[in-house]
Amino acid sequence: MKIQVREESGCHVVAICGSADVESSAVLREALLGAIESGARCVICDLGRTDFICSDALGVLITAYLKALTRGGFVRLADPQQHLKEVLATTRLDHLFDIYADVQAAVGGAEGKGKGA
Amino acid sequence: MPSRPTDNDPARPWTEKVLPTQLEAIRDAEGDVMARLEEFAYNEDHQFAIRLAFEEALVNAMKHGNHMDPARKVRLAYRVSPQCIEIRIRDEGEGFDPGVVPDPTVDENLHRPCGRGIMLMRSYMDTVEYACCGKEVQMTKYRRPSQGGAKP
Repeated sequence: MKIQVREESGCHVVAICGSADVESSAVLREALLGAIESGARCVICDLGRTDFICSDALGVLITAYLKALTRGGFVRLADPQQHLKEVLATTRLDHLFDIYADVQAAVGGAEGKGKGA
Repeated sequence: MPSRPTDNDPARPWTEKVLPTQLEAIRDAEGDVMARLEEFAYNEDHQFAIRLAFEEALVNAMKHGNHMDPARKVRLAYRVSPQCIEIRIRDEGEGFDPGVVPDPTVDENLHRPCGRGIMLMRSYMDTVEYACCGKEVQMTKYRRPSQGGAKP
């Protein structure tokens, strides 16, 4: 897995490229929690190139979501592909996260919670 | 460890491995299993489902079973046929009762960062059974055309 970070319209976009497996969770945790602790209020996880996600990585996303909330910010998910959409629906995490069809929509913050993009 | 009859070819041998309790060991084991699935042309949905359940089961064995104790091992056995894959994973922990694991999909548990592994295994495999007081998980995924992902 590779993490690519960029700023887009004031949002901190974290692109997760490849497999978010148990071995990669520490890197993902550092990228997301590190950004929030450094003051990022709008964090977007770009899942467009994420081909796998395990429960450990889902736990990292949830931890980041909660941490952002306590600091008055948010974590949004963007562009999950079919397998990830299915995992988010199976776990019902599509009821927890705001999920958007793409990063641009996530930056804009259009209504999207629970719709699974 | 392997003994239960299935519709798999009984003559087909099991591949058995003893893994160290190290998360790094999962990748190699996973690679071997995925290569076998490729050989039998399992589709992408099946491959995703089996990879997910396989990783969750191994992580559970290492983290919750063996408590990441490097002195403990994880025993893995699997066999693949054109019809199905069977997987057995046993840890050296104290065992557990899978019936008391909280449902991670209910509203009050959605915020919990842990506890989704067994639920994902049950969702993505056709059978998931525990033996040896919870120390061994036995999973099967049948290969059906145009299917492979989570159960509805």
